[in-house]
Amino acid sequence: MKPRSNLVTTFLVAFSICLTFQLTALSEMEQPASAKVPTVQALKVHPEALTLEHARDGRRVLVSGKTKSGTWVDVTPWAALTPTTAGVKVYEDGYIFPMAVGTTKIKVTVKGISTELPVNVKSMDAPPVSFVRDVMPLLSHAGCNNGTCHGAAKGKNGFKLSLRGYDPDFDYELLIEDISGRRFNRAFPEQSLMLLKPTSEVPHKGGQVIVPGGRDYEIIRQWIAEGVIPDVHTTKRVERLEVIPDSAELTTPGMRQQLIVIAHYPDGTTRDVTREAKFTSSVNEVAKVTDDGVVTAERRGETAILTRYEGAYSTNGIIVMGDRAGYKWVKTSEYNYIDTHVHNKLKRMKILPSELCTDEEFVRRIYFDLTGLPPTPAQVRSFLSDTTASKAKREKLIDALAETSEFVDHWTHKWGDLLQSNRKFLGERGIWLFQQWIHQAIAENRPYDEFVRNLITATGSTYTNPAANYFRVSREYTAAVENTTQLFLGVRFSCNKCHDHPFEKWTQNQYYELGAFFADVRVKPGQLAGDEVVYANYTTEPVKHPRTLAVVEPSVPFGEVGSETDDKREMLAEWLTSEENPMFARAGVNRIWSYFMGRGIIEPVDDIRTSNPPTNPELLDALTKDFVDSGFDIKHIMKTITRSRTYQQSIITNKWNRADTINFSHAVARRLTAEQLLDAIGIATGSRPRFEEMPKKFRAVQLPDSKVKDDGFLKLFGRPERETSCECERTTEVSLAHAMNLINGPTVAESLIDPEGRIAQLIQTNHDDRILVEELYLATLSRLPEKNEYAVAVEHLANAESKEEGAQDLLWALINSPAFLFNR
Amino acid sequence: MLSLPQLPGRLCDGFSRREFLRVGGAAMLGISLPQVLSLQANANTTVDPAKPLNGWGKANSVILLFLQGGPSHLDIWDPKPEAPSNIRGEFNPIPTNVPGIQLSETMPRLAQQMDKACLIRSVSYTPAGLFNHTAAMYQMVTGETPDKVAPSGQLDPPSPADHPNAASHIANYRPPDEPMLAAVQLPRPMQESNIIGKGGNAGFLGRAYDPYFLFQDPNEEINLDDLSLRPEVPPVRLKRRKNLLETINAGMPEIDKVADSYALNEYYEKAYNLILSQRARNAFDLSQEPDGVRDSYGRHTFGQSALLARRLVEAGTRFVQVNWPSVANGDPNTTAWDTHATNFGPLKNLHCPKLDSAVSSLLEDLDQRGMLDDTLVLAIGEFGRSPRMGISTSGNSNAPDGRDHWPYCYTGLIAGAGVKGGQVYGKSDATGSTPLENPVHPRDILATVYHTLGIDPHTIVYNHLDQPRELVKGEPIAGIF
Repeated sequence: MKPRSNLVTTFLVAFSICLTFQLTALSEMEQPASAKVPTVQALKVHPEALTLEHARDGRRVLVSGKTKSGTWVDVTPWAALTPTTAGVKVYEDGYIFPMAVGTTKIKVTVKGISTELPVNVKSMDAPPVSFVRDVMPLLSHAGCNNGTCHGAAKGKNGFKLSLRGYDPDFDYELLIEDISGRRFNRAFPEQSLMLLKPTSEVPHKGGQVIVPGGRDYEIIRQWIAEGVIPDVHTTKRVERLEVIPDSAELTTPGMRQQLIVIAHYPDGTTRDVTREAKFTSSVNEVAKVTDDGVVTAERRGETAILTRYEGAYSTNGIIVMGDRAGYKWVKTSEYNYIDTHVHNKLKRMKILPSELCTDEEFVRRIYFDLTGLPPTPAQVRSFLSDTTASKAKREKLIDALAETSEFVDHWTHKWGDLLQSNRKFLGERGIWLFQQWIHQAIAENRPYDEFVRNLITATGSTYTNPAANYFRVSREYTAAVENTTQLFLGVRFSCNKCHDHPFEKWTQNQYYELGAFFADVRVKPGQLAGDEVVYANYTTEPVKHPRTLAVVEPSVPFGEVGSETDDKREMLAEWLTSEENPMFARAGVNRIWSYFMGRGIIEPVDDIRTSNPPTNPELLDALTKDFVDSGFDIKHIMKTITRSRTYQQSIITNKWNRADTINFSHAVARRLTAEQLLDAIGIATGSRPRFEEMPKKFRAVQLPDSKVKDDGFLKLFGRPERETSCECERTTEVSLAHAMNLINGPTVAESLIDPEGRIAQLIQTNHDDRILVEELYLATLSRLPEKNEYAVAVEHLANAESKEEGAQDLLWALINSPAFLFNR
Repeated sequence: MLSLPQLPGRLCDGFSRREFLRVGGAAMLGISLPQVLSLQANANTTVDPAKPLNGWGKANSVILLFLQGGPSHLDIWDPKPEAPSNIRGEFNPIPTNVPGIQLSETMPRLAQQMDKACLIRSVSYTPAGLFNHTAAMYQMVTGETPDKVAPSGQLDPPSPADHPNAASHIANYRPPDEPMLAAVQLPRPMQESNIIGKGGNAGFLGRAYDPYFLFQDPNEEINLDDLSLRPEVPPVRLKRRKNLLETINAGMPEIDKVADSYALNEYYEKAYNLILSQRARNAFDLSQEPDGVRDSYGRHTFGQSALLARRLVEAGTRFVQVNWPSVANGDPNTTAWDTHATNFGPLKNLHCPKLDSAVSSLLEDLDQRGMLDDTLVLAIGEFGRSPRMGISTSGNSNAPDGRDHWPYCYTGLIAGAGVKGGQVYGKSDATGSTPLENPVHPRDILATVYHTLGIDPHTIVYNHLDQPRELVKGEPIAGIF
């Protein structure tokens, strides 16, 4: 398994993208077995009184019980509901249906404790059946439009539905016009294939999915009897979902919580859709959820339950607290608002933050994070010997590093990765010019919104306006859509290229509507060799929807574009980078956060979706606001993050935060990136790596792209090829090949014996073993050796064949130590 | 991660199908990896239920002789003497040591080893889109069709988003038992024109799972920089360094914990063993083979590569891919299989003698060493060649004595690891144009490879976007065991 994919995302995706049959099977497997019925002293029902509007208005209720300790827990799964009259009927699935107009009561019992629920049945009329609200959801619930059944690309046995009902228009047309007459018998609805098939009264490969005479059966029967009326264009679909409770805290593993899902329609009506809704838990290890909406706590942690119904979504947080006996918050200083929000979350989760890191740890970490390089021995000494109070000293260093040329190089390189500055796309001169352009933007700390506008709206020669390289990389409107959404909104639109995103709100139409903004962007050869010119060609073929072949007009997936202008990209850029755009600043600031903290508040940073909620929404909101208020000042955000106590925590954990991986309660060690590692080896050994056709003292981070030849080190250690806009292109795993290379490969070995390298120089100028050892520790681990480390090292030097060999061994060992290989 | 296929699932087809559960979940249930493997073995239902163990887990290692370029099946494995002359070509069939099975006269030595191998004469697929080598090769070794085409009309070069080579999955799921390289590819990358190495690496699994590439000619002396100890660091010095490193690390227990989460210490331990044991280096040292053996495989790049493959497998490597050493460049005198022109002379005098000596020696050698029982051997190209000469099937122009690409029906050789020798599986029509029975998709061949190694071909793996993907969407060929 790839180490980089944490469990959260793996499970998320496993349960959000897989075919539906997996979901079904897994939840079946996880049917609660024999969890203990909690002993309760009193019962409470939600709602306190139930009103049923019409004959088909079935509802569920939640039952909570008061435990001995006085807390209320959900006992719905164990509650027996007994009607006191024949005015209502309670089905096995917990639904209460009206049988007669009037008031009645239901007796609710759990383990001998009872209460009563008043019910008022207002009417026994059955309103006309709606295709959109009644029939379609029913087909989805029965699984008819699954990818494995009639929702498959080619349908099944001559009958096709749109995948999970994303296109009701299409479904209705097919149902009606396909073999018209046979499927529906309006005179004798029971004789319709539409009922005979799913009930298995005529052979049906999918078996019996609808019970004759049941609730579902009746709905279809009534719809046919009413004349198979389409209401695709007249009936609005669900406006929003309400999940009750909207969040829950479960104390111990095994505890359960029933969820109830209410669909709200634009006309103000509601209905209970718990039965038809689909539930998934983002972290199944923390809590699982069944098809019926019963959440079961598994182990301490946090998860989100994603509820889907007919294209509407809701995400609701579940906390499993576990045993936290003895926990007590310890007052911890807060350097800025980041700490306040982080600590609030830690208190809620009963976690204690780690101690501050030492100055030695800080100096190494901040150099790597801001400049991509370790500090030199001289820089370490200078920082450690500064007698300013630690907090102020650290802030001083942050401010100083943010003004260095190494800072500019480092972030230029990072943006070069994301913008795919690669000679394969841009040509050899192109990559240098693009690098210079990015370099300039970073050096002047160009506001993020302006930087992005420059890219999105760029036209002309890529030699004179290198920002236009954005469209040399994204030559097709499809690439422009996918790269722009992933880079600047943190959203992956590639899924909805071919169909509506299965579990998110993004639709196929939106993909092409967004594409229409880029429709007239063309690239042609420029006057100079290798140059290309980005221009607008208004006579080009407009973007067409792949299925309907209708011309698609430009439109944004949320919010509104400003005033109409000739330049569609201007309109798009204005919308995209607007302060009003709730996703732009948020995705940007989340990405920056991840570079310093090892993971985003939403992770992965470029896969933001409802089913992937932030672990600390208040923190993300505050950072977003700060980013916008500062005028999209990237450097300001970086300084704010690194000045926080949260950033400056130690990697050493305590009893209360050991298991925490998502709440930023301690620092996380990160393997150095390929470039950082190579440059760090260069600084440690005093021997600069050599790159083909590059200036002699070039650092890895200054290379213009990944095609520059080295001895293979960078590629092995996961330098991205710069062929996708995904952060995931860079890898930072550790493997056998890496270990072999560090132990025995040419990069480290040749640097150690470089006659102009650090060891050669130290041997020449120094006769004191202690100073030698000190320098090597400073050059690698950015700290002085401890007493026993001196002893070990000095003894090794004494026993070596020669002092030079001994020093090489020591430096080799320090470079191979995880303390060197990780940013910690 | 691995899958447990025994969980019941509800499907619209009305029957249960395999379900999967990540090993992470299985591990929490206290099931170990070997147990998972054996569970899979027991639960495997993709083959004849009456013979549940059809080749499952029989192989310890796999040698893929990948005949890139597309060898002409009619002129090697599937002669059609009754076909018209513009189809049957210039060669005659010869009998083999298995009555009823004939090979082309180009393979005289293999004819004497036919009892050890199975010919699948019904390998067949219809290319999805591109008809070129790179797309076809990519499919052969990854099981997936590439969809991204560069503006040149060629495939894109290798990308980190590529589907992994089978070797990488195998390195992941069945790492070697001994400190040894899990997978090796030699003596050159797969290639078409300037697209080099597409499908040859670990793609979205990450560099860590790349096969070890030995892109050198084993017919010459091999240079092994990173496997050989450097002159200034003899074993005793490396051991001293190792001790020093361990002492230093022990003084930083909090940081060592980080190393634990990356399995750093395990990797270092393996790496020391690999470097110090000289196992890998020895395996690459062909000078340890008697001259007679080396001569028998053939003193050419392909022959010595096949011999090297045997040595690697012997030393514990799971998967060796030997790529045919010449690639298409339009020159009929190179030994490239891509014979759009001048199919016969070079085949008879240049290509086939090399293929014949290498394949037949490998089968005989493995058999004599008792290794054929647990080594799966494959020799196959990305497609065959058009039965009719001089016509264009791929858009390339073809000389009257040339044959074009033909993926619709061709032959692959498979042997060892429980595959019954001396048999022909599947059957082509009178002209070798289309399978008459038991068509086999290249994906099924990959599925068979995983199957014999005890890896469920339907195991779900997560790509760079964390999307679930099956190892291969194919089924093991139950009928060959």
